Amino acid sequence: MNSAPNVLQHYRRLAADQSGVAHDWLSRRQLHAVMQVQELPLPDRRSESWRYTPLPPLLEQLFQPAEPEEELLYADDVAQLRLTDAGNPCIVLLNGFFMPGFSTLPDDGSVQIQPLRTALAGGDKTVLARVGELSGEQAHLFAALNMAMLGEGVYVRIPAGAVLASPLEILHISVSFESERLAQPRLLLVLEEGAQATVVEHYAHVGDTLRLNNVVTEIFLEAGAQLHHPRLQNESLRTRHLNSLYLRQAADSRYRGVTLALGGAWSRSEFHVGFSGAGADCGLDGFYLSGDRQSHGMHLDVIHNLPGCVSRSRFKGILHGQGKAVFDGNIEVRPDAQKTDARLSNDNLLLSRDAEIATKPRLEIYADDVQCSHGTTVGQIDEEMLFYLRSRGIPHAQAVNMICSGFADEIIGACGLETLENQARELLSRQLVQALSA
Amino acid sequence: MLSVKELHVAVNGKEILKGLSLEIKPGEVHAIMGPNGSGKSTLSKALAGREEYKVTGGTVTWKGENLLELEPEERAHRGIFMAFQYPVEIPGVNNTYFMHQSLNAIRKARGEPELTSVEFMRLVRSKLKALNMDETLLKRYVNTGFSGGEMKRNEILQMTLLEPSLAILDETDSGLDIDALKIVAQGVNNLRNPERSMLVITHYQRLLDYIEPDVVHVLSGGKIIRTGDKSLALELEEKGYGWIQQEAA
Repeated sequence: MNSAPNVLQHYRRLAADQSGVAHDWLSRRQLHAVMQVQELPLPDRRSESWRYTPLPPLLEQLFQPAEPEEELLYADDVAQLRLTDAGNPCIVLLNGFFMPGFSTLPDDGSVQIQPLRTALAGGDKTVLARVGELSGEQAHLFAALNMAMLGEGVYVRIPAGAVLASPLEILHISVSFESERLAQPRLLLVLEEGAQATVVEHYAHVGDTLRLNNVVTEIFLEAGAQLHHPRLQNESLRTRHLNSLYLRQAADSRYRGVTLALGGAWSRSEFHVGFSGAGADCGLDGFYLSGDRQSHGMHLDVIHNLPGCVSRSRFKGILHGQGKAVFDGNIEVRPDAQKTDARLSNDNLLLSRDAEIATKPRLEIYADDVQCSHGTTVGQIDEEMLFYLRSRGIPHAQAVNMICSGFADEIIGACGLETLENQARELLSRQLVQALSA
Repeated sequence: MLSVKELHVAVNGKEILKGLSLEIKPGEVHAIMGPNGSGKSTLSKALAGREEYKVTGGTVTWKGENLLELEPEERAHRGIFMAFQYPVEIPGVNNTYFMHQSLNAIRKARGEPELTSVEFMRLVRSKLKALNMDETLLKRYVNTGFSGGEMKRNEILQMTLLEPSLAILDETDSGLDIDALKIVAQGVNNLRNPERSMLVITHYQRLLDYIEPDVVHVLSGGKIIRTGDKSLALELEEKGYGWIQQEAA
């Protein structure tokens, strides 16, 4: 067990080491992040957004930067972990490193895919302007650390008016020989005016070591762009998964995100949403499944700063055994954001006495002509449903599993990709079978 | 086949059935009629094994076995089916998937081979056709957003698929218009055979115009106070329950 000052010192040193590396392209923002890491405190329970998050899994180890360890990955692994057809474009990130050799990259010019590092070195103006633009504001230590230690990362640009015919898959694979590694994938995704795409992300693993994956994603949707963005987090049961998503939507753009947190020992998904134009529409769906020695957190920060935008946030969770979860959903409607339509819901199903959920929807409204609502439920398996299924011959455990699967399906079914949905259903069902037979 | 003797059932500590006895032989259709609060639904739920309906006395024997020791799913495996008065909505669970799982669970428990999806679809389509129902019921979530009539049809469809040896219809006629009532009755009549027993619980005589019972019981105050043939139902329709309750008192 390391003391807090030790841990902080460790990350400050890691960040400072980066600043010594001579990169022509080292951006102002990266330098700023290096400075931030020197000043920011460790996350702690005194700050509202970390109050219910269990901190030891994040802070007990001194995680060392991961290497690609390419020799541990086989093409077969990649094929098995794919969520869409093998012919579809797929970006493979191994421990956060872009792996062109394992990726399937489109060569028709429909999408620009580049390592962030390469784009920065080439002086790409969009990338220089945008990388770190959203994540830098009010970053916590780990978001700043990701920027400070900016590795290869990935930059994806979908040009104006382009409509991607097939989904673009981003496969994050964790594999390492050594324990206590820190991988820091970073994704910058820009959909230019009127572009439309489905981007699927899968956080998967080969083998199982204790590690921290510190992911930062920045997404810019320009006017009228539409992004469908299902994500499956199925990390190993010793992985800590910190995922910070920053989304900026221009006028009349549309975002549909579905985040499924099914794996990992500890996960925290943050959603930071802001608007840069009126009439944008943001849908955030999420599902978490938490059992023994697992905890998941979902943290929303949706800022309605412009008029006429819509946000719909639906999160559901199932907790069993000693599973823990936190839902912390914050929607702020600022004075100028008239005609905002914002809804937030969080529903939880608890299958055991020892499971624990802290749910905290917050709605702060400073405009007077808006439609906003929020609601939270925490319940157990409905006895009427259970009896109905059992009276039809379905054994108790299977009936509970069916009810849970039905509960989750509203969210899982929103992914819109059959392979992904079926895999998520299977993971859910398998975990429940284990939990209910214990 | 089904033998209920001196059955006492309490709900939330309050005794509802107070010594009910009943014998149903293979192939017989029994109707139980009675005023509100007489214990009709309590009887059906106790037979199906709902936990909250505590049996405080008496015995129930089904094909020689003590029914009261069995879990609800085990009762289903042994051929008992209850059509619910208020079928339960199960959001997110596809109706076809549910019925397939149900039939396979019962087949598995009996050591019979389970049906593949293709086999099941063929079976369910043939049953729908026989019942004059359309396929939209199959694609929806179990009872979710169903009208009262659709729910009852869905119960009859399940009954038809599961081919129980004892079908209990718990006020299946309540809230149905005449067309839906005919579909329900047709479903029941299609299943009538010399091995299958039925217990039709109803408040009104109307359903018995379409399902002709062999025996009619009148339940009042937690006991059967009178048993007769189908003419008893007609008599009740004419005179109400008052006279018979007075007679019994």
